Amino acid sequence: MNKTFSIYVHIPFCQSKCIYCDFASFVVPEDKVKKYFDALCQEIERCEFSGKAKTVYFGGGTPSCVDAENIERVLLKLKEKFDFDEACEISIECNPASADKSKLERYRKMGINRISFGVQSLNDNQLAFLGRRHKSVDALESIALAKEVGFENISADLLLGLPKSSASEICEFCGRLIESGVTHISAYMLQVEEGTPLAKMVGQGKAILPSDDMTADIYEKVTNKLDENNFERYEISNFAKKGFECKHNLAYWQGKDYLGFGLGAVGCENGVRKMNGKTFDDYYDGKAYQEKLTLQEQIEEIIMLGLRTKYGFEIEKLKALGYNISKNDNYKKFLSQGIIKEKDGFVAINKNYFGVSNEIIVKLFP
Amino acid sequence: MTKYSLLSRLLILFAKCKVFGYNICDMDRLEKIRNFCIIAHIDHGKSTLADRLIESTGTLEKRDMQSQLLDSMELEREKGITIKLTPTRMVYHSQGEEYILNLIDTPGHVDFTYEVSRSLAACEGAILIVDASQGVEAQTLANAYLAIDNNLEILPVINKIDLPSARPEEVKKEIEDVVGIPAMHAPCISAKDGTNIDAVLEMIVKEFPCPKGDENGKLKCLIFDSYYDNFKGAICLIRVFDGQVRVGDKIKMMQTGRVFDVTEVGVFVPYSKPVDVLMAGDVGYLAGSIKTISDVAVGDTITKADDPTQVPLPGYKKVQPVVYCGIFPVDGAKYNELKDALEKLKLNDASLQYQPEVSEALGFGFRCGFLGLLHLEIITERIEREFNLDIITTAPGVYYKVHKTNGEILEVSNPSNLPSPVEIDFIEEPVVKASIFTPPEYVGAIMELCQDKRGIYKDLVYLDKSRVRVDYTLPLGEIIYDFFDSLKSRTKGYASFDYEIAGFEKSDLVRVDILLNGEKCDALSLIVHKDKAYARGRAIAEKLKKIIPRQLFEVPIQAAIGNKIIARETISAMRKDVLAKCYGGDITRKRKLLEKQKEGKKKMRQIGSVEIPSEAFMSILKLNDDE
Repeated sequence: MNKTFSIYVHIPFCQSKCIYCDFASFVVPEDKVKKYFDALCQEIERCEFSGKAKTVYFGGGTPSCVDAENIERVLLKLKEKFDFDEACEISIECNPASADKSKLERYRKMGINRISFGVQSLNDNQLAFLGRRHKSVDALESIALAKEVGFENISADLLLGLPKSSASEICEFCGRLIESGVTHISAYMLQVEEGTPLAKMVGQGKAILPSDDMTADIYEKVTNKLDENNFERYEISNFAKKGFECKHNLAYWQGKDYLGFGLGAVGCENGVRKMNGKTFDDYYDGKAYQEKLTLQEQIEEIIMLGLRTKYGFEIEKLKALGYNISKNDNYKKFLSQGIIKEKDGFVAINKNYFGVSNEIIVKLFP
Repeated sequence: MTKYSLLSRLLILFAKCKVFGYNICDMDRLEKIRNFCIIAHIDHGKSTLADRLIESTGTLEKRDMQSQLLDSMELEREKGITIKLTPTRMVYHSQGEEYILNLIDTPGHVDFTYEVSRSLAACEGAILIVDASQGVEAQTLANAYLAIDNNLEILPVINKIDLPSARPEEVKKEIEDVVGIPAMHAPCISAKDGTNIDAVLEMIVKEFPCPKGDENGKLKCLIFDSYYDNFKGAICLIRVFDGQVRVGDKIKMMQTGRVFDVTEVGVFVPYSKPVDVLMAGDVGYLAGSIKTISDVAVGDTITKADDPTQVPLPGYKKVQPVVYCGIFPVDGAKYNELKDALEKLKLNDASLQYQPEVSEALGFGFRCGFLGLLHLEIITERIEREFNLDIITTAPGVYYKVHKTNGEILEVSNPSNLPSPVEIDFIEEPVVKASIFTPPEYVGAIMELCQDKRGIYKDLVYLDKSRVRVDYTLPLGEIIYDFFDSLKSRTKGYASFDYEIAGFEKSDLVRVDILLNGEKCDALSLIVHKDKAYARGRAIAEKLKKIIPRQLFEVPIQAAIGNKIIARETISAMRKDVLAKCYGGDITRKRKLLEKQKEGKKKMRQIGSVEIPSEAFMSILKLNDDE
């Protein structure tokens, strides 16, 4: 039996680091690139997992900042190693500043069928503040180019809650992105991660972020705007036209197995999560960390991941792990208050409560 | 033959004296004992001087000092109060004579004023330490007056002369002017550096009177402290005034009437060391398989059961709780663990009182009585730390005498037990006689504060040109709010304050209830004076709005007297509590964040549909009027 799974490949290079980023990424050192891709291919070669790949995702970092042949090399290696589903979704994250036409054509040719642009904002002052290398015009141009070379599944990331941003401005950005032909938008409420330059700026009062209530307002208005344009919110921060949901990310939220290749990449199979070393040295030394999820943790993850999406989680899946959630008092209360809903064996959060999902999730934990 | 036998008898007598630890003739015995304590304002160097005395007399080797100190520090941390050493017996040689010096320590807080007074009653002398740069401060004065009340000889010592800012001569004058005792010959020392410690020891021997007493009289011992030992039971710390006590004696506690067989007597050097006998003038301990500390009342007199004295030592008071609050486990299932914790604490603390109580909001718990707010804080902290229990403490209050229209009189310490207004004829509340000592420039501020706290002015006396005593009658219920803090801030810490319970007085009191989302929360109710009810109700509603986190829905907070709403605030619904991103790489981290958030919920109490943090119940006490 050939089980299905997803593949994540981490490209830890960037041309510069953005102020809000806490991902494993390093400003690109040319000499290191080749060594890294060699190691990456070796890691894939060593993998003993067998199954059918449903999705592949090149994330980063900025996968587009290295030569496309590197990506191709990895993709070929993957195809050599694993069975690929016919409809396999193959995504790559792109920075509008580093995606030229030839690169996009090459992606298309090698079989990548989904492209995700880190647009973040269409206001050049905000982009400069964030430390992004592109301008708004680059973003729109990149999207147009991607369409031109034949991409049909195009996503754009937007950040909500930047300093001095307003709901109307972001709704306007959404409008322009939709016009440009994207089929998917990820709209994230800006999260200040510890240790980032942004955290320092906020701490020093140099960056003033909108209050939670204002951010919630923006989120609500963006959701409405996208909904009016047939972009349905299928996850807390993800909106797509019908049929353009990101299958790779859905696999995470539905608790499917996934392999992670590359520096700091995480994989999870059968309740065991594995993380590669987060520095080049550790990665090249083959250092990896494993975590066997307890029953409690497995249950918690099903709930917290499932409730991120409009599909919710499956009650039976919890039952199989020994948790009968329908006996939970909070569960009953939330159902009666219309905060969550139950349908066809699945439980999901009602759409007005996505913004406060943590509060709901923790109360449903066993 | 006769001559020989007389000599041998003398020798035997001498040997016996040695066995008893006294290298001196019986007649002179008392003259070679000094019982004293050290009193001071906080941080003026009480513990350091005590350490130096112990070290200088060779009671403990220097290398042992460290561990001794550490042990005490641990105890201090555990109790959260100023170090309280066991009384220490030191041997000191002066001009060829051997003296026994008993140092008795005193707790330093108004909650324990009675215990302090009993410790002082066990002494003949008190060393008053004053910081050479800070001079006389509030507690210097309060402690000095306590010592004067107990007829102690007070000898000032100027400490910290090693500091560049030391001004010993001025401070001596200050002591004479403010405290009113001669100070010109006070030794100037540095306890830290060990400078001039010998002068202090000489002073103790020369200036402090020796104890008086009749070792052949009927036994009279003062219990000035007690503690619980897991093996020996309750241990009495005693000062023998008359007679002798030894192992095997049948003793009687005069107040409680309980009789025990003495199983051990001893002294602290500073660890406990059994001796054969304690005689008039001695300080030491006594054990007698006493199972509960409640049988050992501080201030009680111990005498012999079969040959009792008729007259107990003066000054005994039954210690009554003055502050009450409810204590509940955050996790209702831990009621029994809380009960065990209280039982164990009570073993070592006779003044703690508790009885079961049920609250609609908080479930099963206990109503507990304390000597004061510090005592309350210590106990609640010990429950949390030593027994690892999360507890909810309701706002402290006093107890009221409620006269009902049907003639019945109720004693109410829990506001929710107050009968409905129609059944109440009148209510009496406890009042205290308060004396405040202050430099004259703060009199105005103090009078304003007392007025604000519903005080009734009694007297104002100029003690000298720099010290004034202000007397007020104040409701106890007002004092346990933020009186200490207000007094301190209004007088820069220079005022010292003491009070005694002065009975009950009729007062116009009402109960203010708090409603959350329309539901009354009994654990938040409180009894206040009618004139203050509106302001207090409003302040509590505002405070709760700050403390209660936003919930999934809007929560109105109301304060009410009966059915009348007197204040309202609204907590708007929560709008954002979400993890914007969660992909394959950070599922573990995000799960842990949520687990932590869930853990935080355990400190929350569900009242109806509203979640309240445990500290909300206590916080309504800390309403600053100036806020």
